[in-house]
Amino acid sequence: MTYLVLAYTFAVVVLGGYLVWSLRRLRELERPER
Amino acid sequence: MNRYEKAAGGAVALMLLAAGAIFLYAPGDYLHGPVQRIFYLHVSSAITAFGCFAVVLIGGIVYLRNESPSADRIARAGALVGVVFTTVTLVMGMLWAKPVWGAYWVWDARLTSTLVLWIIYAGYLLVRRLAEPGRQSARFAAVVGIFGFADVPVVYFSVSWWNTHHPGPLIINNALPPEMLATFLFTMLCTLVLAGVMIGVRYRIETLLDGRHGVTERAHVVASRRPEASPEPVP
Repeated sequence: MTYLVLAYTFAVVVLGGYLVWSLRRLRELERPER
Repeated sequence: MNRYEKAAGGAVALMLLAAGAIFLYAPGDYLHGPVQRIFYLHVSSAITAFGCFAVVLIGGIVYLRNESPSADRIARAGALVGVVFTTVTLVMGMLWAKPVWGAYWVWDARLTSTLVLWIIYAGYLLVRRLAEPGRQSARFAAVVGIFGFADVPVVYFSVSWWNTHHPGPLIINNALPPEMLATFLFTMLCTLVLAGVMIGVRYRIETLLDGRHGVTERAHVVASRRPEASPEPVP
C-alpha cells in the first residue's frame, strides 16, 4: 500500500507541478512587456 | 482565465475521474494486491510518452522538409512533455518493482531501453537549451529527434525480443478482465488528453519565446534565403 501511495503521489506532483509551472510561465510571457 | 487554463482544468477533471475509476471501480488483483493499481497510470504514461516522441519525429521530418519554425516548436513541446511522462513511467515502475521483484531496478531490456529513451530526449532538451536558437540548432535537433525515435520500437518489443523481468503486453494478449481493461482504456484516454493540453500550452510558450528571440516564420524564411545560409557558398 505504501508503494501505491508513493507512486501516485509522485505522479500527481510531477504532472500537476509541470502543468501549474507551464501555465504560470505562459501567464508571465503573455503579460505585456513594459 | 484564458483558454489554456480552461483546457488544463478540463484535463485535470478527466484525470480525477480516471483516479476514481482506478481506486473505486477497478477490481483488486489477488496476486499483486493493491500495488497492481500502479499499472493503470504506469502503462498509460509510457504509451503517452511514445505519442509525444512521435510528435517530435513528425515535427523533425516536417522541419527538415520546409524549415517551418512551427514544426520545430511542436517538436520541442513534444520532447519536453514526453520526458515528463517517461519520468513518471520510470519512477512508478520502480515503485511497483520493489514489492514485486524485491528491487527498485534491474538491468533488463525493457527498463534499460526506457532509461536510454529518457536520456536521448533529455539530451535533446539540453542541447536545445544550450545552443543559440536558430536554424542550425533546429536542424541538428530534428535529426536527433528522428534518430532518437528508433528507440521507441526497441522499448515496445524488448519484452518479446529478450527474456525480461518485465511482463509482456497484457492488453494485446487479452489478459485483463473487462473492468480492468475499461479502467485502463479510460485512464489512457484521459492521459492522452492531458498530454495534448500540455503540448498545446508548451507550444504557445515556445511561440512567445521565439517571438522574443526574433524567430518567426518570416524571419526564418529570410534567414534561409541568405547566401551564407546555403551549404555551398556561391563564389
